[in-house]
Amino acid sequence: MSQAASQTSRRTLSLVRTAMDLDRPSLFLVTAQILLIIGTFAGFVVQSTLTMLFLYGFLLAAAVGWVTRQALTAKVVTFLMTAATLSTLGLIGVFLILEAIPVVRHAGLDLIWPFGSNEWSSTQGQFSLVPMIWGTLLTTIVAIVIAAPFGVAGALFISEIAPDWLREIVKPAVELLAGVPSIVYGFIGFTIINPYVGNLLSINPGALFAIGLVIGFMALPTVISVAEDALSAVPESMKDGSMAMGATDWQTMKSVSIPTAFSGISAAVLLGVGRAIGETMAATVMISHSRRLPKPELYNAFDSTETLTTLIAASYGHVTPGELFWSALFAAGVLLMVIVTGLGIVSELVEQRMHRKLRGGQ
Amino acid sequence: MADNQFGSSADGVSRRKFIAATGALGTMAAAGCLGSANESSDTDPLTADGSSTVYPITNDADSLWNGNPPADDQEYWGPGQYGIDTDQNLADYWAGLYGFEPTEERSVPPFSTQVALSHSGTGVEGVINERVDIGDASSTAESILGSDHEELDNIVDHVVAVDGQPIVVSREIHDAGVTQVTGDELRAIYKGELTNWSELGGPDKEIYSVGRAEDSGTDTAFRSNLYGDPEEPIDPDTRKGQNQQVATLVEQNDNAIAYIALAFVEPDGATPPIGLELDGTLYEYGTNLGAKEYPLSRDLHCYTYDGTDKRESAFLNMILSEFGQTNFVEPNNYFKLPPERREEELSKLADQA
Repeated sequence: MSQAASQTSRRTLSLVRTAMDLDRPSLFLVTAQILLIIGTFAGFVVQSTLTMLFLYGFLLAAAVGWVTRQALTAKVVTFLMTAATLSTLGLIGVFLILEAIPVVRHAGLDLIWPFGSNEWSSTQGQFSLVPMIWGTLLTTIVAIVIAAPFGVAGALFISEIAPDWLREIVKPAVELLAGVPSIVYGFIGFTIINPYVGNLLSINPGALFAIGLVIGFMALPTVISVAEDALSAVPESMKDGSMAMGATDWQTMKSVSIPTAFSGISAAVLLGVGRAIGETMAATVMISHSRRLPKPELYNAFDSTETLTTLIAASYGHVTPGELFWSALFAAGVLLMVIVTGLGIVSELVEQRMHRKLRGGQ
Repeated sequence: MADNQFGSSADGVSRRKFIAATGALGTMAAAGCLGSANESSDTDPLTADGSSTVYPITNDADSLWNGNPPADDQEYWGPGQYGIDTDQNLADYWAGLYGFEPTEERSVPPFSTQVALSHSGTGVEGVINERVDIGDASSTAESILGSDHEELDNIVDHVVAVDGQPIVVSREIHDAGVTQVTGDELRAIYKGELTNWSELGGPDKEIYSVGRAEDSGTDTAFRSNLYGDPEEPIDPDTRKGQNQQVATLVEQNDNAIAYIALAFVEPDGATPPIGLELDGTLYEYGTNLGAKEYPLSRDLHCYTYDGTDKRESAFLNMILSEFGQTNFVEPNNYFKLPPERREEELSKLADQA
């Protein structure tokens, strides 16, 4: 803790010292770069014709700075790049919320309150996101019921059971899986899984179960590689200790590796949940877009409805900008962002906890 | 020594980086120049975007236009067949009516055309934002934008054809004897009140009702035609964005009902049509589906913004002509505009040169 604090104060000091020690041309260059890039941004926002001029000015200042004061320019440019990334993120959030305001004004809490009418009918001006939230929840639950056991089993096999040569093949293969474009999964889901599940169970296409199945497999690589990292991070000494006590490999895995890596494994599953919630393409081609709660029972995962992501994907094309429907799509976006960010933060916290615990244990 | 080495290598890097940076700067400057030179000229490509229902018409027109076949090409042009007396190439002739210079070359029209495929709403929105010249829509801009939209007065509606929407069912349902429905039954099906085919004299199977994307042109037209109110809420089991997807669904399932553009009906294939009885009249595919009174029909629109300029007029004039109606409308299974309506549409175009 104190180590981190002293590092922060040292960096701040060094930054102040750098600023104090600057000679006039350097100071001029730095100020010019910062002002010009702010000008570019402002010009872009108000759609000024000067935007490009400011941008060229900044590039010129950066180029001159790179030639004459390389170290300083590097500091400034890396700082500006980081600032740009963060402000883009912030602006997306602000924009989403601003665009979602009209529908929130119109529908109020009914937008997400599950005990109202739960009706979505854009022509009637009824905008309840509850069917979509419920659809997202059901598909995610199915996905995680698939991804968690398969993912943890895969991670355990790769890190503890597989011989070296096999691990060398399987690990990159799993990571390659993560690179398969989601539309490919979706297309397979649409052409093979939907009809197959439909014929097998005599249900209509687009069952939330089938979609959950597909996105569960899509989330697998994420779960496997994060869980595998967590399992490999368990110190050898702990496992050796267990072996030395006469425990078998499986007993060591069961009683030492998994419990120690437990929070890391939970983080992996949570990241998988985030991936499943945010998945759009595969679900869009498979789902029915009917926007009502599943029937006959709420938890009937073999009926179909709509999810938050597929609502946006299926509607953006023909909804007129500025309408309440349009604003409702942004509200769905805000909800998604809040949920996924929340999951990300929780999994980050869980992971940190594990690292602290491991350090403390050593 | 070490210092020296470091110094020289840093210099090397900076020089290289400098050259790279100048190169990048130059490229961006050039791109900026090109980007700003977009004043519209008479020979810019004519662009269209919008409804998948209107797309086959404008797309076929686009293909022939860009092909610019000579007059002696009887298959693709042959003006004599349509009572047109000219020996010019196709696009040369139609553009020439509006004062464009002929190129007299195959594949080189006086100005080219580009047709994109999306949704009615996108087409209307695109034409208002002047992203495209022509916005294809399968329902009126009024029903898409709302009757109080400020831009409604600035767009011009050109009706190019009429589309009848037959009701189709899965092959299995048709073969089991369901060959017609009444208006009331159809309304109940799409309201989710009638859910089993046995209630219509069919097999004991759930009805799988296929609708179109919420608020799309087809969806709006369907609701307004069948229920008499474009804002009537309906509750289909699934909604699809495009005719192709609807056809696939009807084909993949053995219990589906859908309304679909005429072009996607296959009487002996996977999407057999069924009759619709409304107010005592039975409308059937192949007999009176094209009648003006058929309730599930709608006009197909090409919208232009701020009047209709010469390029747009030249292209639309070709589609509205006997040649265009025969070659672009009929083969796509839409109904040709009757002569008096065609006169009315032609009067909205710019004056010919």
